[in-house]
Amino acid sequence: MVQIFRPGADTVARLVLASLAAAPVFGVGLAYAYWRSPYATQQDVTREQPVPFSHEHHVGGLGIDCRYCHTAVEKAAFPGIPPTETCMSCHSQIWTNAPMLAPVRTSLAEGRPLEWRKVHTLPHYVYFNHAVHVAKGVGCTTCHGPIQTMKLVRQVAPLTMGWCLDCHRDPAPNLRPREAVFDVTWTPPPDQRAAGARLAQAYHVKSPDRLSECSICHR
Amino acid sequence: MPPLTPPTRRTALGLLSAGIAAGLGACAKPAEELVPYVVQPERLLPGVPVRYATALSLGGWARGVHAIAVDGRPIKIEGNPLHPASLGATDVFAEAAILDLYDPDRSRTATERATGIAAWAMAERALAAPLAQARREHGSGLRLLTGRVTSPTQIRQIAALLTALPEARWHVHEPLDDANALRGADLAFGRRYRALPDPGRAETILCVGADPLGPGPDQIRFSRAFMERRRDPAQFGRLYVAETALTQSGVKADARHALAPRDAAGLLAAIANGLGAGLPVPDLPAETARFAHAAAADLTRADGRALVLVGEAHAPELHALGHWINDRLKAPVAYRPPDDPAPADLAALAADLDRGAVSCLAILGCNPVHTAPADLALAERIGRAGFSIHAGTHGDETAGVTHWHLPLAHELESWSDLRAPDGTASLVQPLVRPLYGGRSVHEILALLAGEPASAGHDIVRATWRDRGGDDFEGWWRRALHDGVIPDSATAPVDPGPARIPTLPGRAPVTGLAVELRPDPCLYDGRYANNAWLQECPKPVSKQVWGNALALSATEAARRGLASGDVVRLGMDGRAIEAVVAIESGVADRAGALTLGYGRPRAGAIGNGIGADGYRLATAASPRLLAGVSVEQLDRRDEVLRTQNYTQIEGETRKLFRQIALADLQDAKPEGIGGERPTLLAPWSGDADGHAWAMVIDTQACIGCNACVVACQSENNVPVVGPEEIARGRMMHWLRVDLYDSGTPDSVNAGFQPVPCMHCEHAPCEPVCPVAASVHDGEGLNLQVYNRCVGTRFCEANCPYKVRRFNFFGYADGQPYATMGAESVKAQHNPNVTVRARGVMEKCTYCIQRIANARQEAERDGRPMGAVATACQSACPTRAIQFGDLARPGDPVLALRRDPRHYALMEELNTRPRTTYLADLRAPNPDLGGRT
Repeated sequence: MVQIFRPGADTVARLVLASLAAAPVFGVGLAYAYWRSPYATQQDVTREQPVPFSHEHHVGGLGIDCRYCHTAVEKAAFPGIPPTETCMSCHSQIWTNAPMLAPVRTSLAEGRPLEWRKVHTLPHYVYFNHAVHVAKGVGCTTCHGPIQTMKLVRQVAPLTMGWCLDCHRDPAPNLRPREAVFDVTWTPPPDQRAAGARLAQAYHVKSPDRLSECSICHR
Repeated sequence: MPPLTPPTRRTALGLLSAGIAAGLGACAKPAEELVPYVVQPERLLPGVPVRYATALSLGGWARGVHAIAVDGRPIKIEGNPLHPASLGATDVFAEAAILDLYDPDRSRTATERATGIAAWAMAERALAAPLAQARREHGSGLRLLTGRVTSPTQIRQIAALLTALPEARWHVHEPLDDANALRGADLAFGRRYRALPDPGRAETILCVGADPLGPGPDQIRFSRAFMERRRDPAQFGRLYVAETALTQSGVKADARHALAPRDAAGLLAAIANGLGAGLPVPDLPAETARFAHAAAADLTRADGRALVLVGEAHAPELHALGHWINDRLKAPVAYRPPDDPAPADLAALAADLDRGAVSCLAILGCNPVHTAPADLALAERIGRAGFSIHAGTHGDETAGVTHWHLPLAHELESWSDLRAPDGTASLVQPLVRPLYGGRSVHEILALLAGEPASAGHDIVRATWRDRGGDDFEGWWRRALHDGVIPDSATAPVDPGPARIPTLPGRAPVTGLAVELRPDPCLYDGRYANNAWLQECPKPVSKQVWGNALALSATEAARRGLASGDVVRLGMDGRAIEAVVAIESGVADRAGALTLGYGRPRAGAIGNGIGADGYRLATAASPRLLAGVSVEQLDRRDEVLRTQNYTQIEGETRKLFRQIALADLQDAKPEGIGGERPTLLAPWSGDADGHAWAMVIDTQACIGCNACVVACQSENNVPVVGPEEIARGRMMHWLRVDLYDSGTPDSVNAGFQPVPCMHCEHAPCEPVCPVAASVHDGEGLNLQVYNRCVGTRFCEANCPYKVRRFNFFGYADGQPYATMGAESVKAQHNPNVTVRARGVMEKCTYCIQRIANARQEAERDGRPMGAVATACQSACPTRAIQFGDLARPGDPVLALRRDPRHYALMEELNTRPRTTYLADLRAPNPDLGGRT
């Protein structure tokens, strides 16, 4: 009788069976990897803006405080995007004819708001509050990165739930004194863990158990 | 038909891959934009709610409110604690007004009957000729028709118009007015005094057909004062209610009697005779006589602290007798002088229209074609006016018969002023510019008066200019901020002694007596296009999306009718078709139907729902129809209810604890069953030390549904529509259950609001396969929407049935009718997630309010203050108390130790955080007692 299968067929069959079992595992792993990849989180994507506003120039170069434009950051959940009026408080005096600023001048003249493209987008069931984080000693650059070096703003952190929880479960490494919150050049001291723990206590930062509860961020 | 050509294999593959590519592309995050102001208003914080004091009208009377806006979008209405008709609480109509503002069916342009859409300028031109003619003739053909007007500015404008054009006439038609009460005051005192009873000083109250705890402009004030008095058991008193069909007051009564309308005069005469009236001895049924005897004895005993209230449906003579009894009892009633100038009524306008005396008719802010008694045939008569315009928020039935229709701005879009029933004036301020290009009634009146176009703001300020004194700006800002104008209440007057009227003879029994009542959800029909109110269960019948003729089981059996049968009701040759609902506590040979339904031109939500009672009403007796014929049709219709599709036999007394006043001293508080053995670890708080809990006083609950609609407004609770309700699906996070431990003839009922119990050992939590139902350290039972996969195990395992499932995208993607319109989305609370299809949801104890309070406290580095949930702040009687069990001295702690305290189904070992205070009643032993 002629053999239908060659001796190697067994090996092939085993390989096929093994890969059938492995495929779902790989698939799940791939999906995880995809969701956490910068491609999915839109990390480090630089977006075109109607006016190429440079934080590098205004913050790094001129040293303008964050709160000059983001006025509500200490009071409200949303930090506030400056109205055209704020831009024009300086640019009615300097660079008054720069072609780059034409949309800003048009906006004020026509009473039509500038439409900025959002860089940091959270899902709609997440309720992040800037004021509380600022009050508890989380600095701007902790999440937004070295903003003073960015010509156009990009999202530095992945903004995934896991990333949020890393800090909510252990805030000490990311806390700084309140007076340094808006200091973009602040660097952690060598004993940051101990200093952060002291700050957490001084600022009444809630326990990691409480901070990792669903109701802290979701409603 | 030619055969379909199948796509080739290549085309099919191409389409498939294109579909996959398009599908994958859709997975990307949508690009969002940030749109800042050009010039930012000072002190405005993005995304932070701002409160503005203003007032909303109901039947012309004001209820002061705080309207809450986020980023310029009004999203919620709350009560104004300084306002005497709100006292910090709201009613269903005020809560739902916010949805009316965004109603996509509101009229957007002026329209001419023949040519359709037109511009405001064209309407002004069209008005010029008839107005010029009216002015030449000193206004002889000019007629103005409005609803009840309490606005000082509007009264000033109308008075000025009537002075300038002395031949012009002003008519008022308010569908649910107090005409019979005023005529009764005229009979008793010789002047049309308006009576304002004070239940806070009345120990014994007898309502004959009156429903003071039911819907109306005085509901909040009355029920608050009534229930505040009852909080002290020593001042509990007794409430007697004799009425045709069960109302909210009837449910709360200590002694209730189903009274045939024709016996009302006899009942009042019997009471009056007890006080020495010497009226002819009425022939009353034995039950009624016994009730009258008991009530009379109690009223006389409480001399000076007793009160009689007569329902608006009854004849003026009965009201006059009520005034006489109150006079004799030295009842706590404040009388206020009649309106000035006094407008003419609708019947006079109908007569003028018949004579052809009306060359220009302006109808402002009312809908008489729907709400006028049918025998006035107003739709036809308005056609006899030479020129007619109608100004309204919707292109309603009246807009359909006038030459022009002008869009009216909503109260949240316009400057105005309003008075409360006690005369207190409030300024009405806009929160947004008119969304649909409407103008305020003041601006339209200025147009009619031929004044140069001026803004409503200036017209209203002109009214108050003298009042403000030297510092007018300061006075104005203060009045706007507070929402009330100081010392503007009308002083009560002494009406003098009352006369005894001659009572009408007892009508013979002919056919069915039908009482037409204000609808607890649609009022007089003006809210028919409001989906929240259409889906709000009526307090007693729990019916939604429609009305029904309420009949007693005996009456229905006598006529061979069953619940759900459609009948034709006939009266004077006019007929309507209504569905029959069998209800407890309806008087023999009588029925009740609520008004406001059956509208042909309400809008996409309200068109053609229910039966229109106005079509049977007559000008002589607009609210009480005697001798209605009932003819059964060969058709059945469903009465949609949100309760009573399952009967819980014998459990009522356990689920709804009732205590007689006499037994209160022996009552012991019942706990949440914390001492029972359990396999679960006891609940332990967290380091923050909050433990949220709620106590609901069922004695104080009047079933008004203000909490239900407040919750809907606050928490973006979607409307599901009648088809889904028919499948037993609803979305309200908070429902008000009605329990009746009595019999169909002798009702012994009470209300029980049921939100989520936030059980410490919640049965919903262990059954969730994905941990979407979890507990937090403050004791909240959370639903994590983005984890939920929709197994509905939690709903099945919840003994309180408070979980709601999004079978469809009710809020997002598959909304009911117009509820998905862009304008309606603007109402959504930005601090609450809009739930998607396939997700479970439920009461969160207003977690967004807790979170906001906590975050503000954290931000400012201070301890967290008290939090009020939406239902709590809406409640007119303060029946709902929310608080923190871990905070010493919190009111909920004291309530948990109240002898009336009990938990719902504590035997299931759920350890609920929401608990109740038992219903308390003071039955009259002479009437056999109850409870």
